[in-house]
Amino acid sequence: MSVRLNPDLRNELVQYGIGDWNACYHCGTCTAMCPLSEEGFLFPRKKIRLMQMGLGDQLEASVEPWLCYYCGDCTTTCPRDANPGELMMSLRRFMTSRYDWTGLSKKFYTSEVWELAWIIFFAILVVLSFVIVLPSFGFHYTSELTADGGVKVNSFAPIRIIETFDWAMAIIVATLLMSNILRMYYAIIWKHTNTKVSLWVHIRELWLLIYNFMVQPKFSKCDSKGYWVSHWFLMSGYTIMFIVIVVFLPWFQTEEILPVYDPQRLLGYYATFGLLFGLFIAIVGRVKKKEVKFQFSHISDWLFLAMLTLTVITGILIHIFRINGMPMATYISYIAHMAILVPMILIEVPFSKWSHLAYRPFAVYIAQLKKNAVPR
Amino acid sequence: MSYRPTIVAFLCNWCAYTGADLAGTSRLHYAPNIRIIRVMCSGRVEPTFILKAFQQGADGVLVCGCHPGDCHYHEGNYKCLRRFKLIQKYVDQMGIEKDRLRLEWISASEGQQFAELVNNMTKTLLLLGPVKIQRSLEVQHLKQ
Amino acid sequence: MEEPRIGVYVCWCGTNIAKMVDVEQVADEVSKLPHVTISKTYKYMCSDPGQELIIKDIRGHKLNRVVVAACSPRIHELTFRKAVEKAGINPYLFEMANIREQNSWVHTDRTEATSKALDLVVAAIRRVQYHEPLQKRSVNVDPATLVLGGGIAGMAAALEIANAGKQVYLVEKTDRLGGQVAKFDLTFPYLSSARQLIQPFIQRTENHPNIDLFLNTEIKEVTGYIGNFKSKVETAENGTIELNFGNIIVAVGLKPFNPTVISEYGYGQFPDVITSLEFEEMLSNGHLLTKYGKEPRNIAIIHCVGSRNKKYHEYCSRVCCMAALKFVHEIRACLSSANIFEIYADMRAYGKGHEEFYALTTHKQIIFLMYDQQESLPVIRQANRNDNCNMIIEMDEKLSGESIEVPVDMVVLMVNMEAHENVKEVVRAVGVSLCGNQFFIEKHPKLDPVATTTGGVFIVGSCQGPKDIPDSVAQARAAAARILASIAQGSVAVEVTTASVIEHLCCGCQTCIRVCPYDAISYNEEKQASEINEVLCKGCGTCGSACPAGAILSKHFTDTQILAEITGIMSMSYKGA
Repeated sequence: MSVRLNPDLRNELVQYGIGDWNACYHCGTCTAMCPLSEEGFLFPRKKIRLMQMGLGDQLEASVEPWLCYYCGDCTTTCPRDANPGELMMSLRRFMTSRYDWTGLSKKFYTSEVWELAWIIFFAILVVLSFVIVLPSFGFHYTSELTADGGVKVNSFAPIRIIETFDWAMAIIVATLLMSNILRMYYAIIWKHTNTKVSLWVHIRELWLLIYNFMVQPKFSKCDSKGYWVSHWFLMSGYTIMFIVIVVFLPWFQTEEILPVYDPQRLLGYYATFGLLFGLFIAIVGRVKKKEVKFQFSHISDWLFLAMLTLTVITGILIHIFRINGMPMATYISYIAHMAILVPMILIEVPFSKWSHLAYRPFAVYIAQLKKNAVPR
Repeated sequence: MSYRPTIVAFLCNWCAYTGADLAGTSRLHYAPNIRIIRVMCSGRVEPTFILKAFQQGADGVLVCGCHPGDCHYHEGNYKCLRRFKLIQKYVDQMGIEKDRLRLEWISASEGQQFAELVNNMTKTLLLLGPVKIQRSLEVQHLKQ
Repeated sequence: MEEPRIGVYVCWCGTNIAKMVDVEQVADEVSKLPHVTISKTYKYMCSDPGQELIIKDIRGHKLNRVVVAACSPRIHELTFRKAVEKAGINPYLFEMANIREQNSWVHTDRTEATSKALDLVVAAIRRVQYHEPLQKRSVNVDPATLVLGGGIAGMAAALEIANAGKQVYLVEKTDRLGGQVAKFDLTFPYLSSARQLIQPFIQRTENHPNIDLFLNTEIKEVTGYIGNFKSKVETAENGTIELNFGNIIVAVGLKPFNPTVISEYGYGQFPDVITSLEFEEMLSNGHLLTKYGKEPRNIAIIHCVGSRNKKYHEYCSRVCCMAALKFVHEIRACLSSANIFEIYADMRAYGKGHEEFYALTTHKQIIFLMYDQQESLPVIRQANRNDNCNMIIEMDEKLSGESIEVPVDMVVLMVNMEAHENVKEVVRAVGVSLCGNQFFIEKHPKLDPVATTTGGVFIVGSCQGPKDIPDSVAQARAAAARILASIAQGSVAVEVTTASVIEHLCCGCQTCIRVCPYDAISYNEEKQASEINEVLCKGCGTCGSACPAGAILSKHFTDTQILAEITGIMSMSYKGA
């Protein structure tokens, strides 16, 4: 079975941040240096070859890019400055857009204008909802909410409506993400192979998903342990926050200001700290460009960091204003918070950088399935 | 004393002798019973030399030159080959087995092949035993 | 003949010999042999004190023969010959026994190795008794030079010699100068124009007062020897002219491989499969178009066509990799968006600036595809109508492990450089040898790369093996320097260990004349005996072994000497048996 070269694919790949992919002359030093490359899942060299040759289908069927956690050893040791680490990073962007059936991911990754336009569009929608839609349904908050000086968050943002909206958003995002994961699974396990994996193996290896999501043990094999720690704080903070605002919003968003040792506040503080710590390390890293993995920033990397940081800052502002009894400031912060959070979740999670929270653990799971594949 | 076959070898200066030197510089080990005589070209090897070696008690005689086409003197190895065919017949008629007399091409880069050749020929000679006419020649030699 | 007084010196070579051979025992045993005046061992015979030791002994003990048992004579025979000459005896009254390369380094049993060393030393002692002093000889050199071939190498050599004020006869087979370089568009790695390179060369060659140019001319036969060659040249204008010259430079170049025999590539069958030289011509003309007059969208360049494959030529042509990369720059200059595929087996960027050129070229948005040169060649087939290209190359891509199809509109075959079919005539005319690949063989691959085993004949450029322009020019100038040196000296040393005829033994059968590869023997009707021109003779000794009357003496390899060596080599073992 021979496959046709597609020389035009390189023009497409360039848009995902692939710089000088031609420099590689396949000495294989990168693969030899990689602490994660293993028998059956060799990278980066072979994947670079597929990129150079424009074999899109073969790339789509590769799980390896997701097994790379970008320690940068390959790039440091590359004799041709071909930057294999960043090529793998770009490949993950390309693959994210390949898995995405809506085609939006490709649009977002390849056009900054598109991505920014959609972010702004969603932000405006959120602002309009608070300023025009909610009041038109009878929530006259301007005079009522500020009349007696107290901060009435639940009156300003009625818990039922916000909770419903959160759930709807979570379901939409999860559906999109899961459908893309299925496409990823199909591409790697079935579409381009002639092997199959038994149902029992699927069940037996499920624990990997949770374990890898929670701990990221592969990531910890890369040499920079410190980065793994900061990333873990960020990840756990984000996960806690997400669960709290979607599942436990009535418990979390209260009018009453609880004592500082209350679990509600402690959990919130932990999540905020985790996010801030992780973001600080990432932003400082990308600004300083000392480590290889931070040297090359695609527009999507900065957008992601910027939006998450703004979300956290506005969240902190809501909290400060609320406990200090500053209603108007609280409400404005709340609108700003939502105006950043909503587009971030809707765009980043299913279509862009943040989708890796699902692809990464699933890749480990799928790789494990692949190891157990038998001819069909 | 156990039988140790002695080989007298005539090696051309440009290919075979250099090849044998290479076996040395490469520290390849081979049987110690070979005695090498250098000639400028395998074309210089005349029947008298071969007969003299047998007469002196050699159990085998080896002639090595450059590969066909590579002769330093254009075609000396071809001349050697023609002469060799005749002397081989003659030696055979004298009662010396054909396998005791060999002509091989060894290039300057074939140290390995040379070492193998010596071991190989030694093995053949061990199977053949001492040269049969040696005893009678010995008697004559002593008489002289 | 005076009584031989032989000095025997057994070298330890540090531990190289002494570890495996009991050198003291060897020296001891041979000291008992007749004519051995003195026998010694020393740590390093080749060192200055080692040589001094010999010189002192020759003077002190009135030695007239010397035997050194040490390394290979190919390494130090000349060293010791010089040493004995310094002490006042003829350098040929010396013999070496090789007890290192052919003994201590290849054997593991000390007793056996010692006994073998003893045999070899005894053989040398027996032999050296029959050595005769030989005198150095030299011949005058005709200051004119014949250059065969008017390519860049031939012209570079001719100009170098002509600029030194010496006469050059430049003979070119075709009707123009320039050779292969004149067919190129640009050169690598600096992408300078080949025409700008070769045109001034051609003009200077044509106009040089010291260069006589013969175009459309072939040399049929050359007679004579170093310093004194003769040849006849057929010219259209002046008929036959006789030329005299002292040295010859062979620069007959090469020819491109004809890829028709490689069925996989369909050369001749597909009009847009062309050779690298045809592509050069296309580039020089400035029209990069397919046979249908369209701009090619996809161009493949296949490397190693006819090279590095046992079915065609096993050797590497050395320049094609870089030439193929040069094409990338030329294609990019006129077709900025075309897809370029470099289908290669290994990228060889050995020369100055080549690796940098390779790195530079990789940034030209090309796709490198590797194929297995031994196992499976790419196959070119006609594309279907809906393929949107002219041809399809099917290949197993080695670095990805994928079987792929490459869409192409034009294929450039980087053809191998092979020897001219007429080299055999050159061989016959000037008397040089060919290697297995039909290239001329140099005298020594490392230490004497432009000389040949025929004195006065030099090989330069691609007729000695595929090479690029700088290497060809370097060789040409090197040969010119060698020739100018011999012209400056006025005479050259010639082989001493030649053959000579013992006239009263010669029966006149003339067998020797037929076997001599150098035409060095002629028959003297008056004397009724063969006569040897010792300037032409190279001392191979073939005539000596062919002579049925034993009338030819191969100096330094006489029957007496070799028979003595045989007797010596067997003497000890024979005693032991």
